[in-house]
Amino acid sequence: MEGKINDPFGIESLMMTWTASMNDAMEVMSKTWSAFPGTAGDGGNDAGESGPMEAMAAAFKNWQTIASAMTTPESMASFIKGTETLPEICAHFAQAVMDSLSELQQKMGKSAASFGESVDSYKFKHMDESGFHIWTDIYKKEFQKFFQIPQLGLTREYQERINAMADKFNLFQADHAEFLRLLSLPFQQAAAMMQKDIADMAEKGELPEDSQVYYQMWIKMLEGHFMTLFQTPEYVQTLAKTLGALSEFSRAKNAVLEDMLQGFPVAKESEMDELARDLYELKKRVTKLERENRELKSLVSADQGCC
Amino acid sequence: MNQFKVPVDLLMSNMAQGVRKARTRARKASEVLLDTLETALSQTPYEVVYQEDRVKLKHYMARKPSGYKTPLLVVYALINRETMLDLQPGRSVVERFLDEGIDLYMIDWGYPKRKDRFQGFDDHINGYMNNVVDFIREKHKVDKINLMGICMGGSFSVMYSALYPEKIKNLVTTVTPTNFNTDKGLLHIWMKSVDVDAVVDTYGNLSGDIMNLGFLLLNPARLMIDKYVGFAEHMDNKNFVENFIRMEKWIFDSPDLPGEVFREFIKECYQQNKLIQSRLEVGGKRVDLKKITMPVINFYGKFDHLVPPEACDQLTRHVGSRDTEDVCLNTGHIGIYVSSKCQDAFAPKIATWLKERDGGPATGDTQAKSGRKSAGPKFKKAKKSLAAAAPSDMEPNRRNRAV
Repeated sequence: MEGKINDPFGIESLMMTWTASMNDAMEVMSKTWSAFPGTAGDGGNDAGESGPMEAMAAAFKNWQTIASAMTTPESMASFIKGTETLPEICAHFAQAVMDSLSELQQKMGKSAASFGESVDSYKFKHMDESGFHIWTDIYKKEFQKFFQIPQLGLTREYQERINAMADKFNLFQADHAEFLRLLSLPFQQAAAMMQKDIADMAEKGELPEDSQVYYQMWIKMLEGHFMTLFQTPEYVQTLAKTLGALSEFSRAKNAVLEDMLQGFPVAKESEMDELARDLYELKKRVTKLERENRELKSLVSADQGCC
Repeated sequence: MNQFKVPVDLLMSNMAQGVRKARTRARKASEVLLDTLETALSQTPYEVVYQEDRVKLKHYMARKPSGYKTPLLVVYALINRETMLDLQPGRSVVERFLDEGIDLYMIDWGYPKRKDRFQGFDDHINGYMNNVVDFIREKHKVDKINLMGICMGGSFSVMYSALYPEKIKNLVTTVTPTNFNTDKGLLHIWMKSVDVDAVVDTYGNLSGDIMNLGFLLLNPARLMIDKYVGFAEHMDNKNFVENFIRMEKWIFDSPDLPGEVFREFIKECYQQNKLIQSRLEVGGKRVDLKKITMPVINFYGKFDHLVPPEACDQLTRHVGSRDTEDVCLNTGHIGIYVSSKCQDAFAPKIATWLKERDGGPATGDTQAKSGRKSAGPKFKKAKKSLAAAAPSDMEPNRRNRAV
């Protein structure tokens, strides 16, 4: 401990220097504020109530006391102990990230190994989506909880909405990436099929001379692969999931935007929606009343005609 | 190792020729694109005779005295715009109807705004549609009018005819989904899994751009690649470019879809298939298809990827009318209205069918009997004229249960 204190670049020396300088600054500030008229020092407050100047001077005085206490060997030892646990937390966090990345890398390696396997015509048996699923799983297990930590204080609700937006954005990104990967599959498969067909034709000496023929072959294959993909349950589920995730992200984003708009003299979207609903219901009521009025009038005139 | 016989020299020579052609085409294309292009849609003159909120009623100027006692109201879908029926002079269903002497009205649903997000089936059918029908009835001093619906507008027309049979003389449905329990169309597969509540609660209306993206994704190879490759190959042809741009203008002119209508259409129709089972309720009233006692003619496209034949061809079996007819055309969803071949057959067929039923008695039952008696010989006549117009494009698949 002694050695550490003597170390001019050690955490304890830095802390001592910083608290000492803060202490000096607070003392100066405290004296300056005490010199202002209206503080307790000059007895300017007739009612005996503490004014803002007095409160500020008291705050500086308190800080000076705290800073002095912090420089005691006991406090410093406690602080040092606290800072020593920080690397431990970081190490845990880093370990979790590394484990996740390692798992992801392994899965991606497996996925990469399956590239170039023979392509079955218009089949989507090998929709290797584990890479995306594993990322989503890791995100949900390891990272999502950071965005769900309950917030404290005056701005807690705003902060929670910002965190929710970041969380929903990440989830949407995962689903969106998976959706795009599915959409890219027909291109991969059509290209592989084309290569195979061209090789077959070349072997038979039946290669077309017109480039249009190649294009037509490719577009037909592509269309076929898309049509097959679009009917698979995997595609339908991913589409529904992506749309759902997009809706949730949009809702979370709108909530944050509404918070931001509160500071401006403009109506929020939810307020406009409420207004529109009121107008809509009012119009319906008026229309109904008009119809009833017309019917009553015609009944009355029919009655008068009878009499 | 096999030595492939690749005609590299020929391929290279063709490619060089292709590049030369492309350069010439690009030069001509720049002249075409920089020239004045005629790409305006909906040029047939009309006047707006009724307006309520964003909804307008167009009345087309007659080209000759109307030979019909009953005016025709066309109800288009809320998706895309009714300008599709009047793409350009010479390629216009509207023109064809006017040439036939039909007194023609068409609903323009306008562009729904966020404030319209709460409007559902009830507002469109019991509200706007009913007001428009009453307006026309009053203007023409008639009890009933003819109603023609297109796609989703056809579904609306079916609902309307079931709710107000006393106001509709004849019903024409074209590419109209009524049976949603099919996996032949991708929309039918996809929509079953969509969480429509999440979408509507978040966005309010369904954006036209999102809908268009969805439609493009139904066949990306053709609609996002091949279509534009085709355009690049013909962009030196002014007529082709003008037609292509007209279609582009129409396709991407998509109003947003009111949120509640979208919610109801997906949940009640696509997910629960209530319409064909007469279980749907609109504004608290049950849409009972058995109440559709007026004559019904039902057109659909054999190669329609949006509304497949299986989604359309059950309607005539479920309505209460005895005078019904199914007509399957050898075309897709839009081809019915824009292909020259189909136009030659489609509009005249409707005109003839309406003419045959124009002076019929007013009540549903009597009308059905009348249709039953006269449908046979009259249909033969119509079939003959159709065969002459487009033998391969139309497959009349008449289902007249009275015969």
